[in-house]
Amino acid sequence: MSSKTTRSIAHYLMLSPFMLLFAVFFLYPIVSGFFYSFFEWNAAQSSQFVGLANYTKVFTSRSFEKATWNLLVYVSITVPLGIFVALGLALLVDSFSGFWAKFFRSAFFIPVVMPLFLAATIWRWIYAPNFGLMNTVLSWFGMPSVQFLTDTGTMLYAMIAVDIWVSAGFNMVILLAGLKNVPRHYYEAARLDGASTFQQIVHVTLPSIRPVLFFVITYGLISALQVFDIPWLLTGSSFAEYGGRANTLLFPVMDMMGRGFGSVRFGQASAYGFMLTILIVCVTAVMFALRKRFGDA
Amino acid sequence: MFLKASFSIAPVLAGMLVTTGVAHAQENVVLEYWVYSDFAQGEALKLQQTFINEFVAKHPGVTINIAGKGDDDLLSGQIAGAASGTGPDVFMNSTSAGSSLVEAGALKNIYAEWMATPESFRAQFNKDLIAMCTPKPETMYCIPYTGYGSLMFRNLTVLEKAGVDTKAPIRDWADWLSQMEKVKASGKYGVPDMAQNWASFLNIYSGVAEASEWGADFDTKKTLINPEKYAKAADFLQKLKPFSTGTNVNDQATRDLFISNELAFYVNGPWVNPPLEQAAKASGLKYDWVMVPGATEGKKAGVQGYEFIGVAPKANAKLAFEFAAFVTEKQQMIRWAAALGRYNSNVESLADPSVSGNPLLAATAQSARTALYNKPPFFLGTFPNSYWSAITDNASAVADGQMTPDEAAADLVEELNEILADD
Repeated sequence: MSSKTTRSIAHYLMLSPFMLLFAVFFLYPIVSGFFYSFFEWNAAQSSQFVGLANYTKVFTSRSFEKATWNLLVYVSITVPLGIFVALGLALLVDSFSGFWAKFFRSAFFIPVVMPLFLAATIWRWIYAPNFGLMNTVLSWFGMPSVQFLTDTGTMLYAMIAVDIWVSAGFNMVILLAGLKNVPRHYYEAARLDGASTFQQIVHVTLPSIRPVLFFVITYGLISALQVFDIPWLLTGSSFAEYGGRANTLLFPVMDMMGRGFGSVRFGQASAYGFMLTILIVCVTAVMFALRKRFGDA
Repeated sequence: MFLKASFSIAPVLAGMLVTTGVAHAQENVVLEYWVYSDFAQGEALKLQQTFINEFVAKHPGVTINIAGKGDDDLLSGQIAGAASGTGPDVFMNSTSAGSSLVEAGALKNIYAEWMATPESFRAQFNKDLIAMCTPKPETMYCIPYTGYGSLMFRNLTVLEKAGVDTKAPIRDWADWLSQMEKVKASGKYGVPDMAQNWASFLNIYSGVAEASEWGADFDTKKTLINPEKYAKAADFLQKLKPFSTGTNVNDQATRDLFISNELAFYVNGPWVNPPLEQAAKASGLKYDWVMVPGATEGKKAGVQGYEFIGVAPKANAKLAFEFAAFVTEKQQMIRWAAALGRYNSNVESLADPSVSGNPLLAATAQSARTALYNKPPFFLGTFPNSYWSAITDNASAVADGQMTPDEAAADLVEELNEILADD
């Protein structure tokens, strides 16, 4: 046996613990999920092959239509707005140095480390009708009380605000790391050429942090497509009742969980999960294609 | 107390051991015991641990690990555990989740073990609840354990300030509304939003409906909601709206409003009493509890629900059943009820003098006599997940004036029947 082959075997052996764990904890659940999506299965009795019936059932259900529409609106607002806010915060923090830079960085990061249950409880108080913080402020201006979490016209936007509050700190830290890597002499050159602050951001900052922005946008899209915990907690959902009033805060992962653990329809839940996985893979692939098309810098 | 308890349960357990023909004394067995998270905290946990220690003392080599879980974690863990074989051996859950657990194969049929227990043990339990756990002949899925009946907590400071005579009972809905008008005139809130979840809605609907007019018939796939009664409840929800905080009964904000003397009536289960009791000591909160008023004089409203203890169909099922029988037995339930003031399904324990004098327990027991079951029928069919959302959506819409009560009732019954038929 050549030394090259011996070395290769050693390398494969060293990789084998990872490969084994990857197969058990990643590949197997995906493959078995796909497998069960073609079966009527309630975890107890033996499964029964039903072909594409689970996909048809999910696809034609009212809740799927509602959840998909909610997701579309949510993603189209929360991802760009969230990144815009995070970028604004990153630029703000980047403009400070010393104590204040550390202070703002920590302050904006607090919602990220705060338990979501606590964050949701605080926001339910803030959004409370009549006496909540938001409605108290509105009442100072003579405005009527708004039912942020039960009025179907405001629920989604109220939830997006919470979502951005929670996620902005994380994205800010990533973007801030990108900003720190932008050579300062680029800005000096731009200033000498008479560029305004806005022009510096558009023509220097954004092109320089394009790889970081790509990561933040892709990660934001993937996270947004899997949204679950914030709407679940804000609506006080359980497996028996979820999605808030008129299913305004119903999203695909919630619907999938409800079918699985609320109604014990694991075949349908698997089909749902697989459709969602395909959607996420497609969106990610599009993001990578766009990156390839337009380049990193 | 410990000795008394040990001696009195000894014949029961001995009988069970003989009749089931099982002796586990020499085995090294670990039982995983899952309970609701409030059973695994503070005083409740101490008492549960005492029960475990007493059982283990009689079963050398047995280890019982208690784990507290939130509602959803408990259900999903039991269902997933049933599929993988890694779930608990003995566990609690709500009877309203019973069908899902049966369907998932998480519950063993314990009929044989149950029938092997002494008659004196079986006679301790509420017969209706035993019937609930036994949906078919010779098929029993659980031993009834703890439970609740809803109550209406009243903030006496708010009511007295509003000029309400708190000594006079609330006769009916009209009387209740007149008290809320006074409360509103004094600048305070009457009630939380009673249309925001199915339980608070049921606290209103039960004020006009009978037990046979709630839940669903899974054979015909029809809802049992009576549209005329629903319309009456919906009409009352519209009348409640001006006095509402707009918050869900389960919101922390609702409890805080009650504690800070901003809210007059707070309809919920007896489990909300400990923080209120604490507030009474810490900040002088003056409150009491009464039955939830019904539409007419003499009719009482309310919701009752029960938790059961079930056994997984696993290798240690017989020992798990013995433990389940032990913790639900009269002497343990007496200690449980006396220490925590919590209602349970063991009627003999509730009749014990050390328990029956507890005012909260007495009120809960009174509520449970007339309240409607939360999500019946139990163990017979799984409600589609949109069934309960449809009720609260409809109730909220009608409370907001988006539909007339009659329109809402007709729409709801049609929608619920469609949901049941589609499942």
